[in-house]
Amino acid sequence: MSDNKHHADAAQSHEEHLREKHLMLDPLPRGRMNEMVMESMMEKPTWKFWLVFGFLAFVVVYFLFYQWGVLIVKGQGEAGVMRPDYWGIFLVNTVFWIGISHAGTFISAILRVFKAEFRRPFTRAAELMTTFGLVQAGFSIFMHMGRVWVFYWLLPYPNQRMLWPNLHSPLTWDLLAITTYLLSSTMYLFLPLIPDVAMARDRSTGWRKNIYKVLALGFRGTEGEWTHLRAAMNIFAFAISPVMFSVHTIVSWDFAAATRPGWSSTIFGPYFIVGALHSGMGAAVVVLAVIRGTMKHMDYFVRGEHFDAIGKLMLIISMAWAYFFFNDYMVQWYGGDKWTQQLLHFHEAGPLGWMWFAMLFTNIVLPWAILWNPKWRANPWLVGFVGIAINVGMWFERYIIIPISVTINRMPFTWRMYTPGIEVPMGIGTVALFILLYMAASKLIPLIPVWEVQEGQMAHELKKFGRETVVSVSELE
Amino acid sequence: MTESKVIDLLAVFSDLAPAADAIEQLRALGVHDDCMNVISGVPVTEAMLGRPRQWTNVPRIAMGGAILGLSAGIFLAYISPFLYPYPIQVSTQSFVPGPPTAVVMFELTMLGMLLSTFLGVFLDSFFPNYRPMKYVPEVSDGKIAILIECPHVDEKKITDALNKMGAESVKPAEAQHL
Amino acid sequence: MIRPEEIKMSTEETGKWGMVIDQDICTGCQACVAACAMENNITFVGEEDAGYGRSMHWIRIERFWEGEYPEVKMTPQQPMLCQQCGHATCEPVCPAFATVHSQAEQLNLQVYNRCVGTRYCANNCPYQVRAFNWRDYQRPEPLPNQFNPDVTVRRMGVMEKCTFCIQRIHKAQDKAKSEGREVMDGEFTTACAQACPANAIVFGRVDNPESLVSQLSHKGHGVKHLEELGTLPNVTYFKGG
Repeated sequence: MSDNKHHADAAQSHEEHLREKHLMLDPLPRGRMNEMVMESMMEKPTWKFWLVFGFLAFVVVYFLFYQWGVLIVKGQGEAGVMRPDYWGIFLVNTVFWIGISHAGTFISAILRVFKAEFRRPFTRAAELMTTFGLVQAGFSIFMHMGRVWVFYWLLPYPNQRMLWPNLHSPLTWDLLAITTYLLSSTMYLFLPLIPDVAMARDRSTGWRKNIYKVLALGFRGTEGEWTHLRAAMNIFAFAISPVMFSVHTIVSWDFAAATRPGWSSTIFGPYFIVGALHSGMGAAVVVLAVIRGTMKHMDYFVRGEHFDAIGKLMLIISMAWAYFFFNDYMVQWYGGDKWTQQLLHFHEAGPLGWMWFAMLFTNIVLPWAILWNPKWRANPWLVGFVGIAINVGMWFERYIIIPISVTINRMPFTWRMYTPGIEVPMGIGTVALFILLYMAASKLIPLIPVWEVQEGQMAHELKKFGRETVVSVSELE
Repeated sequence: MTESKVIDLLAVFSDLAPAADAIEQLRALGVHDDCMNVISGVPVTEAMLGRPRQWTNVPRIAMGGAILGLSAGIFLAYISPFLYPYPIQVSTQSFVPGPPTAVVMFELTMLGMLLSTFLGVFLDSFFPNYRPMKYVPEVSDGKIAILIECPHVDEKKITDALNKMGAESVKPAEAQHL
Repeated sequence: MIRPEEIKMSTEETGKWGMVIDQDICTGCQACVAACAMENNITFVGEEDAGYGRSMHWIRIERFWEGEYPEVKMTPQQPMLCQQCGHATCEPVCPAFATVHSQAEQLNLQVYNRCVGTRYCANNCPYQVRAFNWRDYQRPEPLPNQFNPDVTVRRMGVMEKCTFCIQRIHKAQDKAKSEGREVMDGEFTTACAQACPANAIVFGRVDNPESLVSQLSHKGHGVKHLEELGTLPNVTYFKGG
């Protein structure tokens, strides 16, 4: 008799546990969720917010824009580049930011295609990372150009001498690919946002209402509007994924197509893509942990289960990265080319050998040591810490591939160590601009796609199989 | 009578099932499917409401954009090198490089396709549209609203029927600035 | 508009102009470096930038040591300049067509006006012989009076490199044309070859079997640098002959 009651209690608490754990099983009325998202967005910023905001704004103005002016007036000599390190931190940052931007597309497109339900609350947060990350990548690549004021010569248009860009050059492909990616990821950010700004329009007054009115484009939610929107989002989810893969593959070709020891590797394409996802996922958990920790009501939308799910992805991607890294290393080592041997030795035992080992530690050892444990994986700050470590490691990886590797070439007379100059403050400036844009966006647009969360909650239910209560999902789409 | 003979009614439901039943009832009362429209805060499919399938041009517009993009890619890859006043040679690579043309055509096809998909949503939904429209803000709180266009004489009959079906409110719709 | 039949791509093994450098008689006196800088209006980057690897010379003398101190042995001096590759890795990677292959002269051209400064060409040059204008360097008076009027002065942010003194090639060709003859072997030479007191540098037509440079380059112990990369360089080196 008491046994039965015990079973019933256990079943009850199991159900409660499931509801507490999963956002999709813990539905709130749509009106309440709208209210929560609007409150989190319109909450009056504290003095701490303005302090950080003001500091970052100063960093952006002084480190990014003022120093950029200095760089343009005085020339690339202000940076640490020279022979043989013609490429330095500006390109490290370009690759790094393009890498960060890959997580947004991965989460909002690939997880949407595969109907991974845990994606729902943070697709927008991730997609914002893509757009803002690409802005930094674009800035970094323009900082790198010796004559940035004639950047439009790279665009495909005929000038007075009927010259078109050189389609033989990987940099021209880069321009086409990054432009395509920036435009399409911005459109893909905007499409699912329309219903949410329509919601914000209905619930705001004053200047906000005017902004949302314009942004919502007159969206009401008629059958036709939803059908067109969903058709478009479906096309985007499928079509933007190959664009994302092509972008980082082409970035890798900038290196792989060159005649340089350590660079001409056929595995660079997938290796770079996995590296991009590695840093991107790391950045995504950091953003989620910060959103959850600092914004009102976000602990309802972003829960341990989400960190657990992304943590699993991070672990798998870390293993894939290790696989590609070893693959690249193994074949280069086995090839026995004397310049490559020199380079590999320089990576490990050169003056910046510590960076090579730190990269292996933060990209492989640390994620594997922490992310295998489901309990640790559900801890936002711990996973966020791993995310930061991975990003440091992935930045090191790009630093090793660019300025450290170009130090070693086939003309030993020119070998020389690279010492960064103005790149450092300007790189910090791009980080500040990224955070600044994100902070501004968190106050201006609903970070949570409420309609997608509600759609998911409608599709989820608890179902009994015998005595076991399990989660069941209906395919509504 | 200067007033039009047709009136718009807006019925608000809080659940999917009564809304679907109401649509069936309306059809029985002689309201044609073309004279109804459903406004919702989450995408509810036509099948759930027993409504005819919505037509969308977005995939066709996307396909058209992809073809335009591919044409731009073909132009850049295969025609633009011939527009120079004299042939330009780089290294010993062929004049029109083989594999790189695939890269150029791929990127421009995708760009054309995605731009036109985006544009397609605007064209099909008549965005942006800032004229006054018939709408209730409760929709974004998860309610389902049915917009019915019916002859003036039927107003009473339909209102009663909808109220009986569980509508939260039924009232004549007025276009308003959103 | 180009008609397809106009396109003649050069794929020959030998180029047109070439050079032979005898490292055994090179004394490392740097006269070629100085002469090249005068002839081609190369800027002086100053002590600090030169010390940081930003010297802009189009030709440099490479010196190496063998063994551990104090048991060191110096190897022959190695003048290094643009090898004017037939299959140049620098050319296809420029997004702006700023470095292209001259079909008339079989040289690698650098179009300063078209350069946007991505520095991909320099990165992709296995010989590391391209020089970038890192800054607008000062040229105090009276240095501007020394400019060679036949050569452009480059500004900040563009790449430059050895041209095999193409202004001298064109001058000689114009003179020969006006006199209704071909350019003779040895009629003119590059600034570096002209200045070399030891005659270690010989310049001329490598596609003419009668010329001194092609006879020398076919001597047994001539080597071309990094030939294994398939770059088809046009400079032959003699060492240990």
